[in-house]
Amino acid sequence: MKTGRLIKIAFTGLGRNRMRSFLMMIGVVIGITALTMVVAAALGAQERIVDRVKQFGYETLMVRAGGDLTMGTHTGGGEVITLKIEDAQAIKRDIDSVIEVAPFNRIGREDAVYSNRSVQTPLFGVPPEWSTVWNWNVIRGDFISRNDMERMARVCVIGPTVQQELFGEDDPLGEIIRVGNVPFEVIGVMEPRGISAGGGDMDNRVFIPLSTFKRRVANVDHIYGIRILLGSDQDADQAVTDITALLRERHRLALGVTDDFSIRSAEEVQAMVEGMLGTFNLFLILVAGISLIAGGVVVANIMLISVNERRREIGLRKAVGARSRDITVQFLFEAMAVTFTGGVMGMILGGVGSALLETLAQTPTTVSWEIVMVGVVFSILVGILAGLQPARRAAVLQPVDSLKS
Amino acid sequence: MEEKMNTSASMNRDHTADERARDKHAPDDHALDEKELLNQSDPQSELLIEAKNISKIYGKGDDATVKALDDVSLEIERGEFIAIMGASGSGKSTLMNILGCLDRPTRGSLFLDGQEVSTLNDEELAAIRNKKIGFVFQTFHLLARTNALENVELPLLYSDRSHITELAREALKSVGLSDRMYHLPNELSGGQQQRVAIARALVNDPEIVFADEPTGNLDSRSSLEIMLLLQKLHKEERTIVLVTHEEDIARYAGRIIQVADGKIVRDTMNSEPVQPEPGGNK
Repeated sequence: MKTGRLIKIAFTGLGRNRMRSFLMMIGVVIGITALTMVVAAALGAQERIVDRVKQFGYETLMVRAGGDLTMGTHTGGGEVITLKIEDAQAIKRDIDSVIEVAPFNRIGREDAVYSNRSVQTPLFGVPPEWSTVWNWNVIRGDFISRNDMERMARVCVIGPTVQQELFGEDDPLGEIIRVGNVPFEVIGVMEPRGISAGGGDMDNRVFIPLSTFKRRVANVDHIYGIRILLGSDQDADQAVTDITALLRERHRLALGVTDDFSIRSAEEVQAMVEGMLGTFNLFLILVAGISLIAGGVVVANIMLISVNERRREIGLRKAVGARSRDITVQFLFEAMAVTFTGGVMGMILGGVGSALLETLAQTPTTVSWEIVMVGVVFSILVGILAGLQPARRAAVLQPVDSLKS
Repeated sequence: MEEKMNTSASMNRDHTADERARDKHAPDDHALDEKELLNQSDPQSELLIEAKNISKIYGKGDDATVKALDDVSLEIERGEFIAIMGASGSGKSTLMNILGCLDRPTRGSLFLDGQEVSTLNDEELAAIRNKKIGFVFQTFHLLARTNALENVELPLLYSDRSHITELAREALKSVGLSDRMYHLPNELSGGQQQRVAIARALVNDPEIVFADEPTGNLDSRSSLEIMLLLQKLHKEERTIVLVTHEEDIARYAGRIIQVADGKIVRDTMNSEPVQPEPGGNK
């Protein structure tokens, strides 16, 4: 018995029962479509994470006031006042691998008003070094200068989003905006930076000198965090250890007392974001997997029904010389042909769906060979699993019993 | 088959395999793994089927059992045209199923072409059915939505033969359906469908053809056609076993076996089978 002939038998059988084949296929098509789209979205998200971490910078660290941070929020609650500008200066002075530091403070949300327009935006108090440690410059005007810091000038640099909201196409330089009811002169506009690792819009921000923030806005000495730039090829983990030791000493933390600050590196940011997206992706893949299993159950079900319907066909085939093995293989091939074809159709639909997702819902997707392989392997697997029981059921039928009609 | 004997007893019965003459069959194209199986048989032997003390019992336990066949012994020679007759429930279909290797006897042994088949496993039985036996059924059992040619090809799909389409064409031609090869079963009359089924039974060049009530679903004119066709096959030296409950149909055969209550009650030679055409003697 030639395998080619068995494949031919399976395919002609499917061709002669197009309705049945179609019904079997539809479940698999839906399952594979869902799976393809989910994997495409997951891979797309993965690529976006890498982009975001690049925004954070691989040679930078972020020290934040308060220990035990989850996604930038103090889980303990309340304002932490332990971190000071002096800490930043000490880090720059005492840790060799550190090139530059930029202590900063911020208010999470403030109304920025110009004439009759307003926008809600985070307000950052930063030193001139901010631009260096973020590798982030103005596209128009100037960034905050040392002179601005020293004289606690009421000047600000705004992000492109703020510019768009308040000024539209008009020139913002030299105009006065009110932020938290304090007037500031706009001296520069930042270049667009996109979405931060934490998911915030980095373009919707207003920067003022840190000294101005301390004295004229918040009237506090403590700072929110320190952005640190390491020299290239420096060991980030070693730097974290050194800075931790230094800050614990400066804050006089006894042995066993937890840190009153936290340090985050690019790797940690990546791990954190991936962990969060990973849970979501796992959920989506689970959903797609369940729909695929449902598709497999449909195939198995219809195959089982068709075994009963086709008792006479099976009996006849056996009477003219088909062995049980031939019948098993025929049914397995039929199931696999259905799921494989459904899988290919599902992948095509999934590709189209992913493209729609990208254009209509602005969800980044990446269709790749991985997805195609996942689809093919899963659909064949479903075919084998779904076909096994019906095939065995069909094979054990005795010709004399199944020919009775 | 000039040495054919007219009784069911065969003088060759006690021959051993060694004594049997060399195969004078045309060289066939069976695959190597089938050779050994087939070499045990002897195409020259007069005795084609030998059933010894065959019983078929359905159900288990003393009370629930039904004896469909009760200690039946039977010999069929090569080239015979036999009608097995009996009322419904007499066991005639069970007998045919066992002789045709579609079913196994509960007790007793069966030799086909000199080879004991009652001890073979399912797979070996499938090979025997494929190579040596052709079936014709009352309800035709053609695959729906499958044209005549493909229906006839079916047994060849499970064999090792090549050129299966040519063989199927020839078989259809021999039953006079050259012009209906690409018709679907539902586009053919009952008689034509049964002729397709006969072509399918012949396509593997079997030793013996079993026909289970082949005219049961046909009108009298189509029935005549089918019986003429079976007689023609018989004249071409094929062994034919016909199962029927109709006296008229049984009279086409050269030997009539009556079955009742699972036993053979009569086994008679029909010296004057119905002869629609002169010269159809055996």
